[in-house]
Formats: sequence, structure tokens, C-alpha cells
Amino acid sequence: MQEKVEAQHILSMNSVEVLYDNVMLAIKGVSIQVPKGAMIALLGSNGAGKSTTLKAISGLLKAERGRVSRGEIQFEATDITEMLAQNRVEMGICHVIEGRRVFEHLTPDENLIAAAPAGMSRSALDAEKDKIYDYFPRLAERRNSHAGYLSGGEQQMLAIGRALVTQPSLLMLDEPSLGLAPFLVEEIFGIIQQINQKEGMSVLLVEQNALAALEIVSEGYLIENGRVVMHGTAEALKANSDIQEFYLGGGEGIDFHDVKHYSRRKRWLS
Amino acid sequence: MDWVFLAELALNGALTGLLYSLFAIGLVLIYKASSVPNLAQAALTMLGAYVVLALSRDVGLPLWLAIMLAAVIMFGLGFGIERVALRRLAGRPIIMILMMTLGLDIFLRGTTLAIWGGTSRSIELGVSYEPLFVGDMFISRINLVGAGVAVVLFVAFMLFFRTRTGIKLRAIADDYMASWSVGISVERGVGLSWALASVVALAAGVIWGEIQGVDQALSLLLLKGLTVAVLGGLDSILGAVVAGIILGIIENVGADFLDPLVGGGSRELIVAAVLILTVMIRPHGLFGRHDIERV
Repeated sequence: MQEKVEAQHILSMNSVEVLYDNVMLAIKGVSIQVPKGAMIALLGSNGAGKSTTLKAISGLLKAERGRVSRGEIQFEATDITEMLAQNRVEMGICHVIEGRRVFEHLTPDENLIAAAPAGMSRSALDAEKDKIYDYFPRLAERRNSHAGYLSGGEQQMLAIGRALVTQPSLLMLDEPSLGLAPFLVEEIFGIIQQINQKEGMSVLLVEQNALAALEIVSEGYLIENGRVVMHGTAEALKANSDIQEFYLGGGEGIDFHDVKHYSRRKRWLS
Repeated sequence: MDWVFLAELALNGALTGLLYSLFAIGLVLIYKASSVPNLAQAALTMLGAYVVLALSRDVGLPLWLAIMLAAVIMFGLGFGIERVALRRLAGRPIIMILMMTLGLDIFLRGTTLAIWGGTSRSIELGVSYEPLFVGDMFISRINLVGAGVAVVLFVAFMLFFRTRTGIKLRAIADDYMASWSVGISVERGVGLSWALASVVALAAGVIWGEIQGVDQALSLLLLKGLTVAVLGGLDSILGAVVAGIILGIIENVGADFLDPLVGGGSRELIVAAVLILTVMIRPHGLFGRHDIERV
């Protein structure tokens, strides 16, 4: 029975705590399950612990002197809590880190080559690059200019494309919508959805832009102060009044159109 | 004005300059793969020369075998330095790493001094001291050999940085975190760059050891090598070669004009002036990458 449950989840995180510098507790017992082939969102405000959660999964915590101090992370039924980041990438976890972080002095083409796994043949790499340029035709046009000169949207596309070269079975995206125009967010989210459906790739999406995220995922987790405070299907979350009020900008808040403004005038003259 | 003499000065300057390039290529390799200026490069060069001497003179191996074996030793040493000294500093502020390379420099100089003492020894490459005549100009054969080695290494590394491994090294120099995130082993990459730079140091050490003898003075190469690397742009191998030639010519021709006026010793001044002016006027050098700022 236990095995069957694990087989359904590509990733399962059980009450994970993360310590930075051995003193700062960044997340305090986060449990998350990502079913195979699903698209899951991790919502929450700034500093809630979303990025830390992703870094715990990808192993990038170590680079920032953080560590998992309690709990365990299982990927494909293997305990990866202590594994090196590069081995996790080999297993199929790829983390598109916040702020795009493309290799600025390399061309988009070279960015993709840099991410190629050690054993990938040249023809397989070429096929992979073609596939990525099919997903992101804008990149193909600029494949030979410095990546640092691409627009924000193009850089985000390149960051995602670069992650795809590593052949992940779990793609984790940290704030892909950050600083992008709404139409670009829509375009990129559309492509992520396409990748998820076409390749059966599981996706874990961290977003502040809950409105956009809940449109494409099936389930969401809400993190506040380093703890999961809510978990449900996208529909349930969208319908939740707290989520509406705090993250979707609707609900019972004041509608500023209806507020009658007090206008100043010099009463003593009238 | 004696034009033949001037041309001879320029030509020999360019050849000497390529010898600086040979040294500077090692600096560039490490900078290109980890954005660290390696202050220990000259000490590595000196160590390389001493290792060759130890293997050929003290152990008695033929010179070519000693050089081959020393290359292997230096390659391993490069990896070792990354593993022992630099790995724990990955991601720390650059000043820490810079200080670590300075510490390595002092350590290696102290070690070579302790083991081999301060007396100068020479490497005999068997290159004739007979000058080579090109028209009316005569040039030194060993400089020609060294320049040839520099050019070969230049071509080899230009090609190397286009390979997949080379691209990964450049990616590491760009962004450690992003490299980790796509599964690049930053540690192994930096180790490889140190290993390659150590082998380049060996090549420079053998050539320079033949020219000026093997002693602590070899470590003074750092000043000229660093100037060449900075003028070339620190991360450009082409830059190191071009800047080497330029510095060599300026130094040789300039010293010929200035030395009679100031009574000698103007070479160091010229080199210092080039370094200072480069940093003031063109901090990213002739071919260095600009920091990209989108507007």
C-alpha cells in the first residue's frame, strides 16, 4: 500500500525544515506531494519560504549555506535529502531559479549546450535544441547574440529552455512571471502548459501571481511564514474567500470605485 | 633613424611579448572559468620549472620525459589546489578567493625556496644560442620557440572553449548558481581550469627557465603577465596574445628611447604605465567582455 502511494507521486516532501547558517529557520515543516505528470503551484507572498522549498528540492541550498535540518525529500521513491545538486539534475529534477539568470556572455545556443547532460550525443543535443526552438520561436531568431542582451521575456524562455535540455521529469519554476508584461506571462504559461501536456513532465510552479498560476495548475499549496497553510485543487483555492481577498485581489475588500471621496473646500467662504 | 634596428627591436619585442602571452594564457584560463584572477600563476610557473629540473637533473630522466611527467604532476596539482584550497570558498566574495591565491603564491614560493634553495639553475632545452638572421635583423631562437609554443597553445585553447566542456567552463564563469541549477559540476570545472592553467604554467616555466634561469626571480613574471592579461581583457585568450605582442613591442622600443634619457630601468616603468592606463581608460581591456547592462 505504501509503495503504491509513492509510485503515484514523483516528489514527496515530508515535514521539511530548512536552516540557513545554522540559525535561521526558513521553512518550518513543509509537506508537499507532486503527482506524476501534474502541475502544482506553490503560492504565497514574499519571504514566505517558497524559493527555499524549491532549493531544498533541487539541492541548491548548499550554495547559500542552508541545509535541510529535519524531514525528508523523496524523488521517484529515492531519498534525495542529502544528495548533491548535480546528481539530482541527473535524476531528473531541474530548477529554473528566480531572476532568470541566463549565462549572459554566452549565446542562447551556448546556454543550451552548457546544460547538456554529460552523456548526451551531439545529434540528441541538436534534436533537443530544435525542439526547444520550436517551443520558443523568439529564441531561434536570436540564437547567436549574447543572451545578456535578450529581453526579459526571452531570457525567461531561455532559462526554461536551458532547463529542458537537462531532460527533467520534474521541472521547478521560480517566479517565471517576475517583471514580465501580462501578455508575455500568458505566452510563457501557455508554453509551460504545453510542455506539461506533451511530455508528461511534472511541474512545480512557484508564483506570487496567483491569478495566472491558478489558471494552469491542477492543485495549489499556500505557504505563509514557512508553513503550508492551505492545500487544495485550483478550483477550490480560487473559490476560497481568503485566497480571493489576499492573493487574487477580489472578495470582501473595499471596492474603491464605490468610495465617496471627501472633497476639500474652503467652507468658511461659502 | 635606423629603421632596420627599429624593426629588429619591434620584432624581438613582439617575440618576447608572446612569451608574456604564454604566461598570461594561464591567468586567462582560470579567469575565464571562474572569474578569479590567479595571483599564484607565477609561483606555479616557477614550480613547474623546478619540477622539470628535479626530474631531469636529480632523478636523471631525459628532458622530454621529465617535461611530460611534470605536465601530469602539474595537472594533478591544479585539481588538488581546487579541492583543498578553493572548493570551500565557492560562492564567497571574490576578495576571499583573491587572498587565497595570494596565500598560495607565498606558500609555493616559500616551498620552492625551502626545497631547492635560492641559487639559479638552468634548463638546457638544447636550443642554439646562435642568433637567427632574418634579412639584416637577428632574432633569438629560444624566443622564437617560446613564441611558437604560445601560438600553439592559443589555437588549442581557442578551439577548446568552443567544445562542450569549454562552453561549460564559460558558463561557470558567468554564474555559479545557474550552473549548479542545470547540473554543471562547478567544482570539477574550476578544478579543470586550474589543472590546465598549471600545465600552461609549466610550459611558460620551461621556456622562461631556459631564458633567464630557474630561480625565485621567475615569480616576478606575474607583474608583466598580469599587465598583459589585463590589457588583453582578462577573459580573452586572443586578448592575451595581442596584448602580449603590443606590450612586448612598446617595452622593447620604448626602453630603447627612454633608457638613455633616464639612465636605464625604464622597462618596468613602461609596463606599470600600461597597466595603470589600461585600468584607468579601458578597464575591460582590448578584448575583454563588457558587463552587460540592458537599457
